Amino acid sequence: MGPVHWHVKTGNVGRRGCSVSVVTTERIIEFRDALNEAMSEEMRNDNRVFLIGEEVAEYNGAYKVSKGMLDEFGPRRIIDTPISESGFSGMSIGAAMRGLRPIVEFMSWSFSLVAADPILNNAAKMLYMSGGQFGCPIVFRGNDGAGGQLASTHSWCVESMYANVPGLKMAIPYDAYDAKGLLKTAIRDDNPVFFLESERLLSTTGHVPKEEYTIPFGQALIRRAGTDCTIISFGRPLHFCLEAAEELAKDGISCEVVDGRTIRPLDIDTMVDSVRKTNACVVVDQSWSFASLGSEIASQIHSICFDDLDNYVHRVHSDDVPTPYAQNLEQAYLPNTRKICEAVRAATYNA
Amino acid sequence: MPIEITMPRLSDTMEVGTILHWHVAVGDEVSSGDLLADIETDKATMELQSFDDGKVESLLINEGEAVDVGTIIATIASEDEEPTADNSPSSSDIPVAKEAEAPTATVHTPSQKQYGGPRVSPVARRLAEEHGVDLASIQGSGPSGRIIKRDVLQQVATEATTCETTAAAETTKVPQPVAPAPIATAVVQPLVASSPWQQDRSVPLSNMRQIIAKRLVESKQTIPHYQVTMTFNMDPLMEMRKTLNVQLAATGIKLSVNDFIVRCCALSMATHPEFNASFGGDCIHYHGPVNVGIAIALPEERGGGLVVGSIKHADQKSLRTISQESQYLSKKARETGLSPEEMGDTTFTISNLGMFGVDNFTAIINPPNSAILAVGSAVEKPVVRNGELAVGHEMTATLSLDHRVIDGAMAALYLKALKELIENPASLLV
Repeated sequence: MGPVHWHVKTGNVGRRGCSVSVVTTERIIEFRDALNEAMSEEMRNDNRVFLIGEEVAEYNGAYKVSKGMLDEFGPRRIIDTPISESGFSGMSIGAAMRGLRPIVEFMSWSFSLVAADPILNNAAKMLYMSGGQFGCPIVFRGNDGAGGQLASTHSWCVESMYANVPGLKMAIPYDAYDAKGLLKTAIRDDNPVFFLESERLLSTTGHVPKEEYTIPFGQALIRRAGTDCTIISFGRPLHFCLEAAEELAKDGISCEVVDGRTIRPLDIDTMVDSVRKTNACVVVDQSWSFASLGSEIASQIHSICFDDLDNYVHRVHSDDVPTPYAQNLEQAYLPNTRKICEAVRAATYNA
Repeated sequence: MPIEITMPRLSDTMEVGTILHWHVAVGDEVSSGDLLADIETDKATMELQSFDDGKVESLLINEGEAVDVGTIIATIASEDEEPTADNSPSSSDIPVAKEAEAPTATVHTPSQKQYGGPRVSPVARRLAEEHGVDLASIQGSGPSGRIIKRDVLQQVATEATTCETTAAAETTKVPQPVAPAPIATAVVQPLVASSPWQQDRSVPLSNMRQIIAKRLVESKQTIPHYQVTMTFNMDPLMEMRKTLNVQLAATGIKLSVNDFIVRCCALSMATHPEFNASFGGDCIHYHGPVNVGIAIALPEERGGGLVVGSIKHADQKSLRTISQESQYLSKKARETGLSPEEMGDTTFTISNLGMFGVDNFTAIINPPNSAILAVGSAVEKPVVRNGELAVGHEMTATLSLDHRVIDGAMAALYLKALKELIENPASLLV
């Protein structure tokens, strides 16, 4: 377990003329520890659940997400593998088909590409191809997206590419609270779930209650309310969206930031409701623009609430090039705050 | 180099023109003389013809969109030239020589689909519908003049302010029932509490109404108007008109009272040239030709309003010709609209409301004229003839005059000359 910080807030709340002292407890933990808690709690509850991947056991996880789990659950349930994504993914899919509930950790989703056949061709299609006889209750999780100077081959954003495949679910947590709540839901789900974390967010901290909770799939969340433009995003770019909203507010442009939370299922209703209110929309998607999550959401919004749009849906993506290694180029390449501000200004005719 | 077609100045007062309809599409071959578009000017709808041969490369203005005179509205690629990819005006920034030397690009532009009416964002269109706002009355602030949400909302706010002011003004008139009424006041209760036709509404100005508003305010505010009225014995003229119309019946010509007045006014210019003149700031322009304008009211279904048709060289035209021209102008104005040529260069104007039974009224001068004659109806009434009471036809006409050009005595003399002609109409025949 990572360090757990306890913050205690004390305040006076007036009630029926009396002064009552109320204690609010905030439990601030790191994103990676929230993931750890989700897996550990589900493993305690369900002995079919196990974790498998490179460095997950003896090394406590390449990014220390599984810290302490080998000690608690032993080598039969926390399993180190060779560098063989195709092999351990396929093996885990077989285990899921036989009744276990594997959690497969990819050190990076970039490495999942060598396991494309088992994860897309087997996991996602198993329920369909078995005629409903058996499915594949498995979670694939790991780091997705650029931002850490890992260069072109190790900076993949797989969401647009993988979300194209029917039969799988996909979640992208924004903070520690969502990381835990969504991962617990993913582990309990009877379908293959692609769980996309961000290496850049693992050290961020947030309040995670001690009490048990889960977050259902397909329920987007308004991270910031606004009236002039809806910004839709998922995962890490949401942080840039909120920065942009803050900056745009100084110019009197009020943005509503919607966190989709899960890509499949997609809560288009919440997004559309927001657009009906603001009449302008920017989709921020860290994948490349061509045939992407962003283009899909834009298309759905255009078809569902065309008559509510004051402008076409604008999109902010990573630039249409392989991810650069150089730090300055990588930052310029990503959907950053500057690009989001520009898109919102254009979408609201404030350019 | 593509040939740039600009919004032409089709009349003296034209500042803005509206493309009503494109007769060509991008990619069409056109030859000199081909019809390109219908253009609505301040008062007329004109046809725009091509002066060049080639292929239409771009149509830059949408139907229904209004642009300033001189704005580029379309480009035509001359026959031996492929359309270039860049339609934007900035392409003209490139030095001509360099562009001419460059190998001709064969990039094909995606054909620009032309939509009917102005560009409107979906929500702007929906809001306009919901609020009953006429999109044609809105100037879009989005790219390429696209009407966007805030344009519609601004229009709604403007109209709401107008309506509220009216409503507030009306509310104050209604006595408050709670207040004790020392004097019995009849409070008129509407029979139907609220029906659509009783509600306040704002209708955006048509192009013509805007011009009328602008020009007449300008006239009334800058020209020192005054009026002089005279009553005419119409018996001889009515008698002669009756005789002539019987004789002309076979030819299909029917002279109106107004045709006589046009000729009388035109002939009176010979001795009173200042009535055929314009104030020029530091001089007075005396016009050679006598072109008498006749005010023509347009039917409601064509948007209402009025235009002034021009009868050129009216002093040299017979009653028969004046009548034919006058009828042609009225018919064309009401049916299809007059060309600037048919409206231009008036030197004096007549406004006749006699056919509506109006006795007497005053008109506002039609610049750059220095006078306008407002004509009432010729009515049968008790009159004094040779010291005895009799029944006869009389007509009252009122001149509005620009005092910078014409003084009161001059106006009186002109009316006297007019009276000579009207009351002795035989001289009109020679």
